[in-house]
Parts: sequence; C-alpha cells; structure tokens
Amino acid sequence: MSATAKPYGILARFDTAADIFEAALRVRDAGYRKWDVYTPFPIHGMDEAMGLRTSKVGYFTFCGGLTGFSFGMWMIWFMNKFDYGLVVGGKPLFTPLFAFPVSYELTILLSAFATLGGMLFVNRLPKLYNPLFRSETFKRASNDRFFICIEAADPKFAEARTLLEAAGASAIELVED
Amino acid sequence: MNLSLFFKRMFALLACAGVVSFGTLRLAAAEHAEPAAAAHAGETTAVEHMEAAGGHAGGHAEAPEPTFVQQFLYSYLTAYMFCLSIVMGALFLVILHHLFDASWSVPIRRVNEQLACLAPVMGVLALPMLILGPDIYPWMSIDPATDHALNVKKILFNRPAFTVLLVGIFALWSFMALRFRKWSVAQDKDGAAIWTRKARVQAAWGIYVFAFSLTLAVFLLMKSLMHQFFSTMYGVYYFAGSVWTTLATVYGIIRWLSTRELKRVIFPNTIHYIGTLFFAFTVFYAYIHFSQYFLIWNAALPEETFWYVKREAGTWWDVGLLILFGHFFVPFVILLRIDTKMNILVMGPMIAWAWLMHYTDMTFNVMPVLYPKGLHVTLLDPICWGGLSAILAYVFWKNFKSAAPFPLKDPRLKEALTHHEVPAPGTAAAHH
Repeated sequence: MSATAKPYGILARFDTAADIFEAALRVRDAGYRKWDVYTPFPIHGMDEAMGLRTSKVGYFTFCGGLTGFSFGMWMIWFMNKFDYGLVVGGKPLFTPLFAFPVSYELTILLSAFATLGGMLFVNRLPKLYNPLFRSETFKRASNDRFFICIEAADPKFAEARTLLEAAGASAIELVED
Repeated sequence: MNLSLFFKRMFALLACAGVVSFGTLRLAAAEHAEPAAAAHAGETTAVEHMEAAGGHAGGHAEAPEPTFVQQFLYSYLTAYMFCLSIVMGALFLVILHHLFDASWSVPIRRVNEQLACLAPVMGVLALPMLILGPDIYPWMSIDPATDHALNVKKILFNRPAFTVLLVGIFALWSFMALRFRKWSVAQDKDGAAIWTRKARVQAAWGIYVFAFSLTLAVFLLMKSLMHQFFSTMYGVYYFAGSVWTTLATVYGIIRWLSTRELKRVIFPNTIHYIGTLFFAFTVFYAYIHFSQYFLIWNAALPEETFWYVKREAGTWWDVGLLILFGHFFVPFVILLRIDTKMNILVMGPMIAWAWLMHYTDMTFNVMPVLYPKGLHVTLLDPICWGGLSAILAYVFWKNFKSAAPFPLKDPRLKEALTHHEVPAPGTAAAHH
C-alpha cells in the first residue's frame, strides 16, 4: 500500500501439484528456512519435499497418554481403596487389572486431547490474521492454485524472486506486512 | 531445546520401571505364595472334582511322567503352531492388501503370497497331529460318556471330525493361497486388471473364511489340549500374535531383499509402513490377550479360570510375566518412535526377540499340559523349531526364485513406486 510498508514476503503461484512439488524441492535445496507451501489439498510427500523434520506433536501425545494412564490408575486406587474402600464381586480393593480398562481409555482420551492441543500450539493456532490475506490471487489457494511464500525475514530473501521464476511460477507478487 | 534426548531418557526410565515392577510383582507373589497356592488348590480341586464326578479321575495335575514320544510331539506342536502363525499371517496380509486396494504394499506382496503358499506344506506337516493325536490330546483317550466337559463338546472333539475338519481347512487355505499367487503371477505376463479383480473377489469372501477357519483350526490344534476350557476369543488371540510375528518376519525378509531382488522397489516409506503395522499389532495382541485374561479373571468361573491357574503354577508364572513385558511392554516402548522402526540395528534384534516371544507364547499355551510344574525346555524344542523352519525356509526360497520377486505389472505398482517418494536433499535437479 504505502511506500513505507515493509515486505512480508514474496508469493509465487503455481498451476499444478507437480509444479509446486518440484518448486518446493528447489526451494528446500537452495537452503531457505522461513517459507511455506499453501495447497488446496494435502500433497503426499510434501513434508519431505519441504525438508520438514518429524513433527513434535508426538511428544505431546506421549505425555498426554502417560498422564491419562497414571491418572486412571491413581483415580481408581484413590476412590476404591484409599478414600472409600469398597469390595466389588469379592475382588481386591485395588488391582491394576480392573483399573486397566479405565486407564487405557483415559490414555487414549488424553492422548487425543494432547495431540489436538499440541498441534494447535506447535502451529501457533488459532491465528486471526495473516498478511497473505491481502493478496487477491492467494484466495485461490483454497480452490485450484498452489502457492509458495518465502518470507522477507529469510537471509536469502534477495535471491528468492529469481529462484521462484526459475522454478516455473505462473505469477509472482510481493506481499506487504 | 533438546526434546529428543529428554524423551530418549524418559524411555530408558520407563524400561527400568518395567524391570523394577517385574521384580516387585515377583516379590509380591512370593509373599502371598501360601494363600494364593491354597486358593489355586481349591479351584483346581473344583475342576478335578468336576472331572472326577464325570468318572475321569486323575486329570492333568498328577500327569504321569511324559514319554519321549509325547515330549517330541509337544515340542513339535509348539514349533508347528509358531510356523503356522507366519503362514497364516502372510495369507491375512495378502487378503488385506486386496480388500483395501492398497498400493504401498504391492512391492512386498509377492513375498507374502509365497509365504502364504506354504499352507499345503503346513498341511503335510500336520500329519503327526492327525495320526498320533492320542499321544498329544488327552480328550482323544477319554470316553465322552465319562466326562461331562467332553460330552457336551463331542460334536467337535471326536477323531473323525478332528481329521475331516483339519484336512478341509488346510485344503481351503491352500486353495486360497495358491489362487492368489497364480493370479498374481499371471498378471506379471499381461498386466490385465482382471487378475486384480479376481483376487479382490476372493479376498472379500476369503476374509470371513479365514477368520472362521483359523479360529476352528486353533481350537482343534491347540485349545483342545485342555478340552474343558472356554474362550471364544482364543482364535483372535492366536491371530493377533500370528500377524505380529509375520510382520516381524516380513520386515526382516524385505529389509534383506531390499539390498538384492527388491533393490529398486523398496523405499523408506515401505519399511516405515511395515514397522507401523508391526507396532499396531503389538498393541492389538496385548489388547486381545488382556481382554481374554481380564474377562476370565472378572467372571471367575472355574471352567475358565483353571486354564490360567495352571499357567500360574511354578515357573509358568514367570513365563506369563515374560509375555506381558516381553511380548508387549518392551516392544511397545521401543517401537513408539519413527526412527527406531526404520533402524535395522534396533529392528534386527527386535525381529529375533519377536520370534522368541511368540515361541514363548506358544510354549505357554501348549506345554503346561505336559509339564504342569513349570517351564521345561528340552533339546527337542530347538530341534523341532529348527527342523520345521528349515523345511519352510527351503520351500519358500525355492518358490520365491521360481517367480518374479514382486508383481511386475500390477496396476498399482507405479503408484507404489512414485506416489510417496521424495528425493533426498540436494538431489532436486536430478528429479523429474
């Protein structure tokens, strides 16, 4: 908009999934760090094509599961043996055996919660605004076009336009912050 | 920052916790040994009483010294059930592949087909059980009129039914496995989709036939060793352990062949998927075996509990714990991470461990009938296991060499080869 606005990044449009896949490989191999790919649908292998490492979400899942399991065991021990001992069916007041199904379900439940929460946290979601929304053509990212955005914060930003052109972008524009 | 190291330490800690709780449980068992033994004795007496009321006194608790033939046959049966696991697991993987119209498993399908085609060999190897049955299965020497438990099950547990059903089941398995392979090999020549279509139709009815026939076969071959026992999930319990062992085996075969015959068609993703399935069945097995144990424990009916009570006697208790930790807990913790599933230095020993654990599981099912006092390993065990494995490995390899190492013209092959694969960093220019 105004001349003082600093650029957010450079946005390149691609027409096919194959094109953007090739382009992602090139951007990855050129050593860019601060960039992302926007596609209307998931593209198999894009994680590796972008050089992304294994997601950290698994660690959240693991902690959630461990919490759920321990909590289930503790809860049943506390309620059935410690706080208010109750004999059911002639079984011991507490044994991991009958606490297991509940702990197991809680493992899964809290794993699922932690996975969802962890995914949102790692992705820094929810995010109410993104400078890319300024771009008219970017709207087609949810329909039939594929985009790569290299952010201005990347140290190699200066050569970004040349690279994206060489990679076969059908349109390139500068997006302001 | 170094989250990965932190979690590696967490895993190590968990493994230590497992070992410690193992020891604690053992101690707890020792402390309560006396009342527990009394309780068990009470239950055993109830079962023996039931048997005695039917006129069959004696039972298994005071089994006479086993003869050499019996020792051999029990070792043979244990090894046989181990090997049958891998063959049936492979048949299941072929059926699964066609049911889901999978693409990733096309390059490994020929190996599964060839493993499944060992079914006729397993049929021949079942002859000792068919001919020398009375030396293995106590019910074959009991008059149903004198044993209530046998009397109500005699429609299944009689020698003609035993023989006819097992022959029929092996014929059915062989029929299915050989047809899968025949169509797959036929497709190598013309690449016609009709072969895939035929296999898919067979997979659709085959999955039902597989489930019922495997359950029936396991009831006859292994569960009938203690014919008083009830467990409708015994078949799926054997199935879960079987597919687990098969996946370990297939993982090993594929890793090895990926440096040879399958060099150009096996990618990291293929390995990862087999590892993931292996992990899934680690959990599934634990789920099923726990469910069987838990339901029996919870209901506390003597007709069912005696089976586990006998497996808590003497060192069988420790074998049970070994299965709990070795068959489930340790593999579960090790296989959680993606990188361990891909690492042959971890997975190599893991495969050997899975074989050992499944063999232990089979021992846990078969041997307490012959050795009620505790685990009893003889030289016959490794001899039978080695002999059967050698025969099957030889036939497998001979068959494998006689056809193409993977389905050459499967319509989904191209998808399997290009679909998920991404060139390594620094090689983008070479990729088209």
